[in-house]
Amino acid sequence: MIERLGLVSNALPAQAEELAALGGVLGLPLLLGLLGGLARPARGWPVAVVGVLPLLALGWLFLQVAGEGRVWTVPLGPLSLYWRVNGLALLMLLLTQAILLASALYAPTYLRVDVQAPARRQAWFWPLLGLLATSLSLIWLAADLLLLYFGLELMGLVAVGLMLLPGKADALVAGLRYLLLALIGSLAFLLGIALLLGAWGRLDLAGLTEAAEPGPLLWVAVALLSAGLLLKAAAFPLHAWLAPVHAAAWTPISALHAGLVIKASFFIALQLWLVLTPRSAPAAWLVGGLAAAAVVWGGVMAWRAAKLKDMLAWSTVSQLGYLLLGFPLLVGTDSTVAAVAWEGTWLQLAAHGIAKAAMFLAAGNLVLATGKSHLRELAGASRRFPLALLSFGIAAISLVGLPPSMGFTAKWLLLNAALMAGQWIWLAVLAAGTLLSAAYVFRVFRYSFVEDAPSLDFRPVPWSMDAVALVLALASLLLGLVAEWPLSLLRAAGGES
Amino acid sequence: MPSLLMEILLVASLLLLGALTLFNRHLVRACTWFVLFALTVSFSWWWMGFPWLASIELLLGAVLTGAFLFHALGVGPTAKRPSGLLAGWHDHPPPRGRALMRLLPALAMLAMLGLALEDLAEGRASVALWSCGMGLLGLGLWAFALHRHLIRRLLGFNVIGTGIFLILVSLADETERAAAHGLIITGLVVAMLGTALGALLIRRLEALEAQHGRQHAAGGHAI
Repeated sequence: MIERLGLVSNALPAQAEELAALGGVLGLPLLLGLLGGLARPARGWPVAVVGVLPLLALGWLFLQVAGEGRVWTVPLGPLSLYWRVNGLALLMLLLTQAILLASALYAPTYLRVDVQAPARRQAWFWPLLGLLATSLSLIWLAADLLLLYFGLELMGLVAVGLMLLPGKADALVAGLRYLLLALIGSLAFLLGIALLLGAWGRLDLAGLTEAAEPGPLLWVAVALLSAGLLLKAAAFPLHAWLAPVHAAAWTPISALHAGLVIKASFFIALQLWLVLTPRSAPAAWLVGGLAAAAVVWGGVMAWRAAKLKDMLAWSTVSQLGYLLLGFPLLVGTDSTVAAVAWEGTWLQLAAHGIAKAAMFLAAGNLVLATGKSHLRELAGASRRFPLALLSFGIAAISLVGLPPSMGFTAKWLLLNAALMAGQWIWLAVLAAGTLLSAAYVFRVFRYSFVEDAPSLDFRPVPWSMDAVALVLALASLLLGLVAEWPLSLLRAAGGES
Repeated sequence: MPSLLMEILLVASLLLLGALTLFNRHLVRACTWFVLFALTVSFSWWWMGFPWLASIELLLGAVLTGAFLFHALGVGPTAKRPSGLLAGWHDHPPPRGRALMRLLPALAMLAMLGLALEDLAEGRASVALWSCGMGLLGLGLWAFALHRHLIRRLLGFNVIGTGIFLILVSLADETERAAAHGLIITGLVVAMLGTALGALLIRRLEALEAQHGRQHAAGGHAI
């Protein structure tokens, strides 16, 4: 499992070229963000032109590792920092860049048309976006706990900052709550790291795998680390903060938050379990129980939600449950099961990231067009805004998990893993989740196809906003047809093809 | 042994100042105690031979965090009386029975930590440091469970953070010191930024509320 994470124990000092590629992937988004804050692009095309640069840097990094997992050390004063580049990290980086680019393309028009915030506050959007990209990339690439802590804290604070940008009272109250929870989570995380450092004297993940011995200390440390991370990931039952935060935030920020930010905490948690307690099946079953509860409860709440954005937030809680199923399927199972569950989990992460970002953008368009945030007030939307509704529907196919979408492939793999492991109960969870997600998605269509709605005034949506949402939705649908490529990348991460 | 005496004195004053910060009923005074607490922490780092940590704690912990806390209260060099809406808000402490109930999670957490660290802490040099960290952690957790007020929670967060830093230093050997310092510096920056964000948020909320109130009042007059 350690090999799959790319944590080989023979870490090499990074060469100049490798260092430059790393610096490019981490530094370029930040630089572009600062540039964006100064220039405040009013249209999408300059963002599109400049936004290709981080992708080029990522391509360069890809060429540096040539498909194999590497661990590099970079000295920093008396410290040496560990970086891991493998198929999984590259896939996550690609996902991050894609969703970020989509949000960045959506944002100029959105800020111009929909947001009443003063221009000075709008300018903050770009540097914070760049910082978010940097911190996420740092998390995917980090192979020691110091870097992970740094990345996690940076991401948390930037996410709070982004949530506060609207400046309205409800956004501030939600942001305040989010801030406090993020701070509590980071304290638990830091205490867990302190215990590990005190006990085994090292922070690099590959070294900890060898050094860590089961015992009360390890269990307490992992419990603290997981509690902090699951709080930040909005895992059931620590999810209550999510819906208010999303309801108040700007649309592209919601898309980024649901698509990437909470996934990063999940990513760290799963990675730490696989590194520190790869054999503790009973604890993993406990997380599996939470996952089942999340799928069902999140689905029911999404079905009952009155507002469009609330529905999407609860659906995130529900879909995160599928990811948490990765714990019982990956921790303490044999290698054939783990191989399938491994692919299913990361594919589900990518599929949900893209689909949920597309749904948030499409929902943002619907809310902008109708000027209302309630589901009920979507009546007649099918005739007036067919494009926004089409994007929403296409992304929903992947969310529910119908073929040929990426979500279908991911759920199929998870289903197979559960069957192979003989953990039948997860089948029921997957089935219930699919039915519930179909139910809450169709509710949107039920309201929007009401024909005898009074013709209220509505605003036209700029075509570029519709186009971004549609492209992202189509990606979530069609990537299922070429799922073999990310899967081969994930397999190569194991070094066993 | 002056050094042992000094150690005991430092531990006692840290715990006392922490308790005063967390449980003083008057918020401006509690924030003043916090600045004193941060200064004492900074002095302890210097005394232990970590001048870098001491100066960062002095700058980030005492000066900047303190400034942001007073900003949140609306107390500044020009305005001595707190003007913020939250400043005059004395929490009503919960009844004694409930206050003791809320001590339980903190105690459970300490017991868990104590169990985990049972064989680890024995061989280490500074038992005083370790127990001081645990004490601050427990106090902070209790205060966090007891109070709902945002500034008090920010104070609690800062005190818990300091407790964790002390535990971290007490557990780290010479060889692990660089990593421990990296963690602590990151943690200090995070605590400062978190407090700053919280303070700015409170001020912004107050401004919005005041605006809303004025509109409300104006509307009332018109009718």
